[in-house]
Amino acid sequence: MILSPLTLTDPKSSDIWEIANTPLLWACALGVFAVIILQTVLYVRAARGAAPGIEMPMSEVRSSFRAGAVASIGPSLAVVIVAISLLALFGTPAVLLRIGLVGSAGAETASAGIASTTMGAELGGSGYTQQVFAVAFTAMSLSGAMWMLSALILIPILKRGKKTLATRNPAIMALLPTAALLGAFSMLTIAELPKSAVHVVAVVISAGVMGICLFIAKRFDLRWLREWSLGIAILVTLTSVYFIHTGS
Amino acid sequence: MEHTTAAAQADVSMSLFEKRTSTYGAWTLSAGLVLSLLGPISLLFFAGLDITPVMVGVAFAAVAATFGTLWVVEPLTYFPILGPAAMYQANMIGNVSNKLLPAVIVAQSSIGAKPGSRRGDISAVMAISGAAMVHLASLLIFVGVLGTWLVGLLPVGLIEVARLYVLPSLIGAVVVQAIVSMKQPRTTVVAVSIALIIQFGVIPLFPQLAFYATALAVLSTIVISWAVRGRKVVQTAASDPGPETEVVDRPDRPDHAEEKGS
Repeated sequence: MILSPLTLTDPKSSDIWEIANTPLLWACALGVFAVIILQTVLYVRAARGAAPGIEMPMSEVRSSFRAGAVASIGPSLAVVIVAISLLALFGTPAVLLRIGLVGSAGAETASAGIASTTMGAELGGSGYTQQVFAVAFTAMSLSGAMWMLSALILIPILKRGKKTLATRNPAIMALLPTAALLGAFSMLTIAELPKSAVHVVAVVISAGVMGICLFIAKRFDLRWLREWSLGIAILVTLTSVYFIHTGS
Repeated sequence: MEHTTAAAQADVSMSLFEKRTSTYGAWTLSAGLVLSLLGPISLLFFAGLDITPVMVGVAFAAVAATFGTLWVVEPLTYFPILGPAAMYQANMIGNVSNKLLPAVIVAQSSIGAKPGSRRGDISAVMAISGAAMVHLASLLIFVGVLGTWLVGLLPVGLIEVARLYVLPSLIGAVVVQAIVSMKQPRTTVVAVSIALIIQFGVIPLFPQLAFYATALAVLSTIVISWAVRGRKVVQTAASDPGPETEVVDRPDRPDHAEEKGS
Protein backbone atom coordinates (compact mmCIF):
# COMPACT_ATOMS: atom_id res chain seq x y z
CA MET A 1 0.00 0.00 0.00
CA ILE A 2 2.85 2.31 0.84
CA LEU A 3 4.91 1.31 -2.15
CA SER A 4 2.19 1.29 -4.76
CA PRO A 5 2.30 5.02 -5.51
CA LEU A 6 6.07 4.88 -5.53
CA THR A 7 6.33 2.31 -8.31
CA LEU A 8 5.23 5.05 -10.69
CA THR A 9 8.35 7.07 -9.97
CA ASP A 10 10.94 8.11 -12.47
CA PRO A 11 14.23 9.61 -11.29
CA LYS A 12 14.32 12.00 -14.24
CA SER A 13 10.73 13.20 -13.90
CA SER A 14 10.33 16.76 -12.69
CA ASP A 15 6.91 15.97 -11.27
CA ILE A 16 7.98 16.41 -7.65
CA TRP A 17 4.47 16.11 -6.25
CA GLU A 18 4.23 12.54 -7.53
CA ILE A 19 6.64 11.38 -4.82
CA ALA A 20 6.44 14.29 -2.39
CA ASN A 21 2.88 13.61 -1.30
CA THR A 22 2.93 9.89 -0.49
CA PRO A 23 0.91 8.56 2.46
CA LEU A 24 4.11 7.51 4.25
CA LEU A 25 5.51 11.05 4.15
CA TRP A 26 2.19 12.38 5.40
CA ALA A 27 2.30 9.85 8.24
CA CYS A 28 5.81 10.97 9.22
CA ALA A 29 4.82 14.64 9.19
CA LEU A 30 1.74 14.02 11.32
CA GLY A 31 3.80 11.75 13.60
CA VAL A 32 6.25 14.58 14.26
CA PHE A 33 3.36 16.92 15.03
CA ALA A 34 1.99 14.34 17.46
CA VAL A 35 5.37 14.11 19.20
CA ILE A 36 5.54 17.91 19.59
CA ILE A 37 2.01 17.94 21.04
CA LEU A 38 2.95 15.15 23.46
CA GLN A 39 6.09 17.05 24.49
CA THR A 40 4.07 20.20 25.07
CA VAL A 41 1.48 18.42 27.21
CA LEU A 42 4.18 16.78 29.35
CA TYR A 43 6.05 20.08 29.76
CA VAL A 44 2.93 22.04 30.68
CA ARG A 45 2.12 19.44 33.33
CA ALA A 46 5.67 19.56 34.72
CA ALA A 47 5.62 23.38 34.81
CA ARG A 48 2.25 23.51 36.54
CA GLY A 49 3.49 20.97 39.05
CA ALA A 50 6.60 23.00 39.88
CA ALA A 51 4.94 26.43 40.14
CA PRO A 52 3.42 26.13 43.65
CA GLY A 53 6.79 25.02 45.08
CA ILE A 54 8.49 28.23 43.95
CA GLU A 55 5.52 30.35 45.05
CA MET A 56 4.62 31.22 41.49
CA PRO A 57 0.89 31.91 41.26
CA MET A 58 -1.05 29.75 38.78
CA SER A 59 -2.31 32.95 37.16
CA GLU A 60 1.27 33.73 36.08
CA VAL A 61 1.70 30.22 34.66
CA ARG A 62 -1.48 30.59 32.61
CA SER A 63 -0.57 34.13 31.64
CA SER A 64 2.83 32.96 30.32
CA PHE A 65 1.19 30.31 28.14
CA ARG A 66 -1.29 32.84 26.78
CA ALA A 67 1.39 35.47 26.21
CA GLY A 68 3.56 32.96 24.33
CA ALA A 69 0.63 31.87 22.19
CA VAL A 70 -0.48 35.41 21.38
CA ALA A 71 3.08 36.59 20.72
CA SER A 72 3.63 33.83 18.20
CA ILE A 73 0.49 34.52 16.11
CA GLY A 74 2.24 37.14 13.98
CA PRO A 75 5.46 35.16 13.41
CA SER A 76 3.41 32.00 12.77
CA LEU A 77 1.33 33.59 10.04
CA ALA A 78 4.47 34.96 8.42
CA VAL A 79 6.05 31.49 8.53
CA VAL A 80 2.84 30.06 7.03
CA ILE A 81 3.02 32.45 4.08
CA VAL A 82 6.64 31.52 3.39
CA ALA A 83 5.82 27.81 3.83
CA ILE A 84 3.01 28.04 1.28
CA SER A 85 5.42 29.57 -1.20
CA LEU A 86 7.66 26.51 -0.75
CA LEU A 87 4.89 23.95 -1.39
CA ALA A 88 5.60 23.71 -5.11
CA LEU A 89 9.24 22.90 -4.42
CA PHE A 90 8.91 20.29 -1.70
CA GLY A 91 5.28 19.13 -1.46
CA THR A 92 3.13 19.49 1.65
CA PRO A 93 4.55 16.75 3.94
CA ALA A 94 8.19 17.80 3.48
CA VAL A 95 7.32 21.46 4.12
CA LEU A 96 5.37 20.52 7.26
CA LEU A 97 8.20 18.27 8.43
CA ARG A 98 11.04 20.66 7.79
CA ILE A 99 9.36 23.89 8.89
CA GLY A 100 7.31 22.33 11.68
CA LEU A 101 10.47 20.80 13.09
CA VAL A 102 13.83 22.32 14.06
CA GLY A 103 14.20 24.32 10.91
CA SER A 104 13.19 27.76 9.86
CA ALA A 105 12.13 28.52 6.31
CA GLY A 106 15.37 30.34 5.55
CA ALA A 107 17.79 27.69 6.83
CA GLU A 108 15.87 24.84 5.21
CA THR A 109 15.64 26.48 1.80
CA ALA A 110 19.34 27.26 1.99
CA SER A 111 20.17 23.61 2.82
CA ALA A 112 17.98 22.36 -0.01
CA GLY A 113 19.55 24.83 -2.41
CA ILE A 114 23.08 23.82 -1.45
CA ALA A 115 22.22 20.12 -1.77
CA SER A 116 20.62 20.61 -5.20
CA THR A 117 23.71 22.44 -6.43
CA THR A 118 25.84 19.37 -5.67
CA MET A 119 23.52 17.49 -8.06
CA GLY A 120 24.04 20.15 -10.72
CA ALA A 121 20.48 21.40 -10.35
CA GLU A 122 18.75 24.50 -9.13
CA LEU A 123 15.70 24.50 -6.84
CA GLY A 124 12.64 24.61 -9.07
CA GLY A 125 14.79 24.79 -12.21
CA SER A 126 14.45 22.41 -15.17
CA GLY A 127 17.04 20.03 -13.67
CA TYR A 128 15.08 19.76 -10.42
CA THR A 129 13.95 16.15 -10.79
CA GLN A 130 12.42 13.66 -8.37
CA GLN A 131 15.92 12.35 -7.76
CA VAL A 132 17.28 15.82 -6.89
CA PHE A 133 14.28 16.45 -4.64
CA ALA A 134 14.89 13.20 -2.74
CA VAL A 135 18.59 14.00 -2.24
CA ALA A 136 17.84 17.60 -1.17
CA PHE A 137 15.13 16.44 1.22
CA THR A 138 17.52 13.86 2.71
CA ALA A 139 20.28 16.43 3.16
CA MET A 140 17.86 18.86 4.85
CA SER A 141 16.59 16.14 7.14
CA LEU A 142 20.09 14.94 8.05
CA SER A 143 21.11 18.51 8.84
CA GLY A 144 18.04 18.88 11.06
CA ALA A 145 18.85 15.56 12.71
CA MET A 146 22.37 16.78 13.48
CA TRP A 147 20.90 19.86 15.15
CA MET A 148 18.75 17.61 17.35
CA LEU A 149 21.59 15.20 18.02
CA SER A 150 23.95 17.95 19.12
CA ALA A 151 21.21 19.29 21.43
CA LEU A 152 20.74 15.81 22.92
CA ILE A 153 24.47 15.62 23.63
CA LEU A 154 25.10 19.24 24.66
CA ILE A 155 22.12 20.04 26.90
CA PRO A 156 23.10 17.58 29.69
CA ILE A 157 26.69 18.85 29.56
CA LEU A 158 25.63 22.50 29.66
CA LYS A 159 23.24 21.73 32.49
CA ARG A 160 26.06 20.34 34.61
CA GLY A 161 28.18 23.36 33.70
CA LYS A 162 25.40 25.68 34.79
CA LYS A 163 25.10 23.94 38.16
CA THR A 164 28.84 24.17 38.81
CA LEU A 165 28.93 27.80 37.77
CA ALA A 166 25.92 28.61 39.93
CA THR A 167 27.64 27.34 43.08
CA ARG A 168 31.11 28.68 42.28
CA ASN A 169 30.18 32.07 40.91
CA PRO A 170 26.56 33.04 41.57
CA ALA A 171 27.17 36.62 40.44
CA ILE A 172 27.89 35.56 36.88
CA MET A 173 24.70 33.48 36.83
CA ALA A 174 22.76 36.64 37.58
CA LEU A 175 24.37 38.37 34.62
CA LEU A 176 24.67 35.57 32.06
CA PRO A 177 21.06 35.16 30.80
CA THR A 178 20.35 38.88 30.41
CA ALA A 179 23.69 39.56 28.76
CA ALA A 180 23.18 36.62 26.38
CA LEU A 181 19.69 37.79 25.50
CA LEU A 182 20.58 41.43 24.95
CA GLY A 183 23.68 40.38 22.99
CA ALA A 184 21.71 38.03 20.74
CA PHE A 185 18.91 40.47 19.95
CA SER A 186 21.13 43.51 19.48
CA MET A 187 23.13 41.52 16.95
CA LEU A 188 20.08 40.09 15.16
CA THR A 189 18.63 43.61 14.90
CA ILE A 190 21.74 45.39 13.73
CA ALA A 191 22.45 42.64 11.18
CA GLU A 192 19.14 43.58 9.48
CA LEU A 193 20.08 47.24 8.98
CA PRO A 194 22.64 47.05 6.13
CA LYS A 195 20.36 44.83 4.00
CA SER A 196 18.31 47.68 2.47
CA ALA A 197 16.62 50.97 3.28
CA VAL A 198 13.30 49.14 3.62
CA HIS A 199 14.85 46.89 6.25
CA VAL A 200 15.88 49.97 8.22
CA VAL A 201 12.36 51.40 7.93
CA ALA A 202 10.89 48.07 9.07
CA VAL A 203 13.13 47.90 12.14
CA VAL A 204 12.35 51.53 13.05
CA ILE A 205 8.55 51.20 12.65
CA SER A 206 8.52 47.90 14.54
CA ALA A 207 10.60 49.33 17.39
CA GLY A 208 8.46 52.50 17.46
CA VAL A 209 5.14 50.63 17.61
CA MET A 210 6.46 48.44 20.42
CA GLY A 211 7.67 51.50 22.30
CA ILE A 212 4.24 53.17 22.03
CA CYS A 213 2.42 49.97 23.05
CA LEU A 214 4.63 49.47 26.10
CA PHE A 215 4.22 53.12 27.11
CA ILE A 216 0.42 52.93 26.91
CA ALA A 217 0.42 49.53 28.65
CA LYS A 218 2.43 50.94 31.54
CA ARG A 219 0.55 54.20 31.76
CA PHE A 220 -2.87 52.55 31.93
CA ASP A 221 -1.73 49.23 33.40
CA LEU A 222 -2.97 47.07 30.54
CA ARG A 223 -1.49 43.58 30.69
CA TRP A 224 -3.33 42.41 27.56
CA LEU A 225 -1.59 45.13 25.56
CA ARG A 226 1.81 43.84 26.68
CA GLU A 227 0.85 40.42 25.39
CA TRP A 228 -0.53 41.71 22.07
CA SER A 229 2.12 44.37 21.47
CA LEU A 230 4.39 42.10 19.41
CA GLY A 231 1.52 41.02 17.17
CA ILE A 232 0.43 44.64 16.70
CA ALA A 233 4.00 45.72 15.89
CA ILE A 234 4.48 42.99 13.26
CA LEU A 235 1.11 43.67 11.65
CA VAL A 236 1.59 47.45 11.46
CA THR A 237 5.16 47.07 10.16
CA LEU A 238 4.39 44.43 7.53
CA THR A 239 1.42 46.46 6.28
CA SER A 240 3.52 49.62 5.99
CA VAL A 241 6.35 47.71 4.32
CA TYR A 242 3.90 46.09 1.91
CA PHE A 243 2.82 49.53 0.69
CA ILE A 244 6.40 50.78 0.45
CA HIS A 245 7.48 47.65 -1.38
CA THR A 246 4.60 47.49 -3.88
CA GLY A 247 4.44 51.27 -4.24
CA SER A 248 8.04 51.65 -5.32
CA MET B 1 12.81 29.54 59.71
CA GLU B 2 9.80 29.70 57.48
CA HIS B 3 12.02 31.14 54.78
CA THR B 4 14.40 28.14 54.84
CA THR B 5 11.59 25.62 54.44
CA ALA B 6 10.16 27.60 51.56
CA ALA B 7 13.60 27.76 49.95
CA ALA B 8 14.13 24.01 50.46
CA GLN B 9 10.71 23.29 48.98
CA ALA B 10 11.53 25.50 46.01
CA ASP B 11 14.75 23.54 45.43
CA VAL B 12 12.89 20.24 45.54
CA SER B 13 10.20 21.44 43.11
CA MET B 14 12.73 22.83 40.68
CA SER B 15 14.98 19.78 40.69
CA LEU B 16 11.95 17.55 40.13
CA PHE B 17 10.90 19.86 37.28
CA GLU B 18 14.37 19.71 35.72
CA LYS B 19 14.53 15.93 36.06
CA ARG B 20 11.10 15.44 34.51
CA THR B 21 11.64 17.85 31.63
CA SER B 22 15.07 16.35 30.85
CA THR B 23 13.60 12.87 30.58
CA TYR B 24 10.54 13.95 28.57
CA GLY B 25 12.68 16.27 26.48
CA ALA B 26 15.31 13.68 25.59
CA TRP B 27 12.72 11.02 24.69
CA THR B 28 10.49 13.24 22.60
CA LEU B 29 13.47 14.84 20.84
CA SER B 30 14.82 11.36 19.98
CA ALA B 31 11.39 10.30 18.69
CA GLY B 32 11.21 13.43 16.55
CA LEU B 33 14.69 12.76 15.22
CA VAL B 34 13.81 9.19 14.15
CA LEU B 35 10.47 10.19 12.62
CA SER B 36 12.06 13.04 10.67
CA LEU B 37 14.51 10.61 9.04
CA LEU B 38 11.94 7.93 8.17
CA GLY B 39 10.51 9.89 5.25
CA PRO B 40 13.76 10.54 3.37
CA ILE B 41 14.95 6.98 4.08
CA SER B 42 11.80 5.59 2.50
CA LEU B 43 12.41 7.70 -0.61
CA LEU B 44 16.07 6.68 -0.81
CA PHE B 45 15.56 2.96 -0.53
CA PHE B 46 12.10 2.17 -1.81
CA ALA B 47 11.20 4.77 -4.41
CA GLY B 48 13.43 3.46 -7.19
CA LEU B 49 15.04 6.84 -7.78
CA ASP B 50 18.53 5.42 -8.50
CA ILE B 51 20.12 7.40 -5.69
CA THR B 52 23.67 6.39 -4.74
CA PRO B 53 25.21 6.85 -1.27
CA VAL B 54 27.77 9.15 -2.90
CA MET B 55 25.06 11.60 -4.01
CA VAL B 56 23.67 11.79 -0.48
CA GLY B 57 27.17 11.97 1.02
CA VAL B 58 28.24 14.86 -1.20
CA ALA B 59 25.00 16.77 -0.65
CA PHE B 60 25.21 16.28 3.10
CA ALA B 61 28.87 17.31 3.18
CA ALA B 62 28.00 20.54 1.35
CA VAL B 63 25.25 21.33 3.85
CA ALA B 64 27.51 20.37 6.76
CA ALA B 65 30.22 22.71 5.47
CA THR B 66 27.73 25.59 5.75
CA PHE B 67 25.79 24.68 8.87
CA GLY B 68 28.04 22.18 10.65
CA THR B 69 29.49 24.56 13.21
CA LEU B 70 26.05 26.07 13.84
CA TRP B 71 24.77 22.67 14.99
CA VAL B 72 27.07 23.11 17.98
CA VAL B 73 27.21 26.90 18.28
CA GLU B 74 23.45 27.52 18.30
CA PRO B 75 22.66 25.42 21.39
CA LEU B 76 25.55 27.15 23.17
CA THR B 77 24.17 30.57 22.20
CA TYR B 78 20.62 30.01 23.38
CA PHE B 79 21.23 27.85 26.45
CA PRO B 80 21.86 30.73 28.89
CA ILE B 81 18.63 32.43 27.78
CA LEU B 82 16.31 29.44 27.70
CA GLY B 83 17.62 27.08 30.38
CA PRO B 84 17.81 23.29 29.98
CA ALA B 85 14.08 22.50 29.97
CA ALA B 86 13.08 24.94 27.25
CA MET B 87 16.17 24.01 25.22
CA TYR B 88 14.68 20.59 24.44
CA GLN B 89 11.52 22.28 23.20
CA ALA B 90 13.42 24.86 21.16
CA ASN B 91 15.54 22.24 19.42
CA MET B 92 12.46 20.29 18.50
CA ILE B 93 10.36 23.16 17.18
CA GLY B 94 13.01 25.41 15.66
CA ASN B 95 12.28 28.99 14.60
CA VAL B 96 14.10 29.99 17.79
CA SER B 97 15.07 33.58 17.06
CA ASN B 98 12.01 34.52 15.04
CA LYS B 99 9.31 32.87 17.14
CA LEU B 100 10.26 31.15 20.38
CA LEU B 101 12.60 33.73 21.92
CA PRO B 102 10.19 36.60 21.21
CA ALA B 103 7.39 34.55 22.82
CA VAL B 104 9.59 33.94 25.87
CA ILE B 105 10.50 37.63 26.21
CA VAL B 106 6.88 38.75 25.94
CA ALA B 107 5.77 36.18 28.52
CA GLN B 108 8.55 36.92 30.99
CA SER B 109 8.08 40.64 30.75
CA SER B 110 4.30 40.43 31.08
CA ILE B 111 4.68 38.72 34.47
CA GLY B 112 7.89 40.61 35.37
CA ALA B 113 10.22 37.57 35.58
CA LYS B 114 13.93 37.71 34.76
CA PRO B 115 15.41 35.21 32.30
CA GLY B 116 17.46 32.53 34.03
CA SER B 117 15.46 32.89 37.27
CA ARG B 118 13.16 30.09 38.37
CA ARG B 119 9.99 31.96 37.53
CA GLY B 120 11.69 32.89 34.28
CA ASP B 121 12.37 29.25 33.44
CA ILE B 122 8.79 28.14 34.15
CA SER B 123 7.48 31.14 32.24
CA ALA B 124 9.76 30.26 29.29
CA VAL B 125 8.50 26.67 29.16
CA MET B 126 4.88 27.82 29.27
CA ALA B 127 5.48 30.52 26.64
CA ILE B 128 7.13 28.05 24.28
CA SER B 129 4.28 25.59 24.86
CA GLY B 130 1.78 28.27 23.91
CA ALA B 131 3.86 29.25 20.89
CA ALA B 132 4.22 25.59 19.86
CA MET B 133 0.46 25.10 19.83
CA VAL B 134 -0.12 28.19 17.69
CA HIS B 135 2.77 27.13 15.42
CA LEU B 136 1.38 23.62 14.88
CA ALA B 137 -2.24 24.73 14.51
CA SER B 138 -1.38 27.39 11.94
CA LEU B 139 0.84 25.00 9.96
CA LEU B 140 -1.76 22.22 10.02
CA ILE B 141 -4.66 24.42 9.01
CA PHE B 142 -3.08 26.87 6.60
CA VAL B 143 -0.35 24.69 5.09
CA GLY B 144 -1.50 21.10 5.64
CA VAL B 145 -5.20 21.49 4.86
CA LEU B 146 -5.59 24.74 2.94
CA GLY B 147 -2.06 25.10 1.55
CA THR B 148 -2.61 23.75 -1.96
CA TRP B 149 -5.71 25.92 -2.27
CA LEU B 150 -4.09 29.07 -0.83
CA VAL B 151 -0.98 28.76 -2.99
CA GLY B 152 -2.82 30.15 -6.00
CA LEU B 153 -4.67 32.80 -4.01
CA LEU B 154 -1.87 34.60 -2.18
CA PRO B 155 -0.63 37.58 -4.15
CA VAL B 156 3.04 37.28 -5.13
CA GLY B 157 3.78 40.65 -3.54
CA LEU B 158 2.54 39.45 -0.17
CA ILE B 159 4.69 36.30 -0.28
CA GLU B 160 7.71 38.36 -1.23
CA VAL B 161 7.13 40.93 1.52
CA ALA B 162 6.63 38.19 4.09
CA ARG B 163 9.81 36.41 3.02
CA LEU B 164 11.98 39.52 2.86
CA TYR B 165 10.77 41.58 5.77
CA VAL B 166 9.42 39.29 8.50
CA LEU B 167 12.60 39.35 10.51
CA PRO B 168 13.14 43.14 10.55
CA SER B 169 9.43 43.68 11.26
CA LEU B 170 9.67 41.48 14.30
CA ILE B 171 13.12 42.12 15.61
CA GLY B 172 12.78 45.88 16.16
CA ALA B 173 9.84 45.29 18.48
CA VAL B 174 11.50 42.40 20.28
CA VAL B 175 14.71 44.28 20.98
CA VAL B 176 12.75 47.22 22.44
CA GLN B 177 10.75 44.86 24.63
CA ALA B 178 13.92 43.09 25.76
CA ILE B 179 15.68 46.34 26.63
CA VAL B 180 12.66 47.75 28.49
CA SER B 181 11.94 44.59 30.48
CA MET B 182 15.56 43.75 31.37
CA LYS B 183 16.20 47.24 32.83
CA GLN B 184 19.97 46.77 32.49
CA PRO B 185 21.23 49.98 30.89
CA ARG B 186 24.88 49.05 31.27
CA THR B 187 24.54 45.63 29.61
CA THR B 188 22.31 47.16 26.93
CA VAL B 189 24.96 49.71 26.00
CA VAL B 190 27.59 46.96 25.91
CA ALA B 191 25.39 44.69 23.76
CA VAL B 192 24.48 47.38 21.23
CA SER B 193 28.07 48.65 20.93
CA ILE B 194 29.38 45.14 20.39
CA ALA B 195 26.74 44.41 17.75
CA LEU B 196 27.68 47.63 15.93
CA ILE B 197 31.39 46.78 16.07
CA ILE B 198 30.80 43.24 14.81
CA GLN B 199 28.46 44.30 12.00
CA PHE B 200 30.37 47.32 10.72
CA GLY B 201 33.91 46.57 11.90
CA VAL B 202 34.56 42.84 12.11
CA ILE B 203 32.35 41.36 9.36
CA PRO B 204 33.59 43.66 6.56
CA LEU B 205 37.11 42.45 7.42
CA PHE B 206 36.21 38.78 7.94
CA PRO B 207 33.02 38.09 5.93
CA GLN B 208 33.17 34.38 6.75
CA LEU B 209 32.31 35.27 10.38
CA ALA B 210 28.83 36.53 9.39
CA PHE B 211 27.27 33.14 10.19
CA TYR B 212 28.61 33.25 13.73
CA ALA B 213 27.80 36.91 14.40
CA THR B 214 25.11 36.08 16.96
CA ALA B 215 27.27 33.62 18.87
CA LEU B 216 30.16 36.06 18.79
CA ALA B 217 27.94 38.90 20.04
CA VAL B 218 26.53 36.77 22.87
CA LEU B 219 29.96 35.68 24.04
CA SER B 220 31.50 39.17 23.87
CA THR B 221 28.50 40.76 25.59
CA ILE B 222 28.77 38.28 28.45
CA VAL B 223 32.51 38.78 28.86
CA ILE B 224 32.49 42.58 28.60
CA SER B 225 29.37 43.08 30.74
CA TRP B 226 31.07 40.95 33.35
CA ALA B 227 34.23 43.05 33.15
CA VAL B 228 32.36 46.36 33.50
CA ARG B 229 29.61 45.16 35.89
CA GLY B 230 28.49 47.33 38.78
CA ARG B 231 30.48 46.21 41.83
CA LYS B 232 27.43 46.50 44.06
CA VAL B 233 25.86 43.65 42.17
CA VAL B 234 28.63 41.27 43.11
CA GLN B 235 28.20 41.99 46.79
CA THR B 236 24.45 41.52 46.85
CA ALA B 237 24.56 38.42 44.73
CA ALA B 238 27.50 36.91 46.61
CA SER B 239 25.89 37.59 49.98
CA ASP B 240 22.95 35.48 48.92
CA PRO B 241 24.29 31.94 49.06
CA GLY B 242 22.08 28.92 48.72
CA PRO B 243 22.23 25.38 47.47
CA GLU B 244 21.37 26.45 43.95
CA THR B 245 22.02 30.13 43.74
CA GLU B 246 20.19 30.95 40.62
CA VAL B 247 18.43 34.26 40.69
CA VAL B 248 15.27 33.58 42.61
CA ASP B 249 13.17 36.60 41.87
CA ARG B 250 10.25 36.65 44.18
CA PRO B 251 7.93 39.57 43.75
CA ASP B 252 8.34 40.53 47.40
CA ARG B 253 12.09 40.83 47.14
CA PRO B 254 14.03 43.50 45.27
CA ASP B 255 15.79 41.90 42.36
CA HIS B 256 19.49 41.65 43.02
CA ALA B 257 20.39 41.57 39.35
CA GLU B 258 19.60 45.25 39.03
CA GLU B 259 22.48 47.49 38.27
CA LYS B 260 21.25 50.80 39.50
CA GLY B 261 23.41 53.33 41.24
CA SER B 262 26.80 51.72 41.12
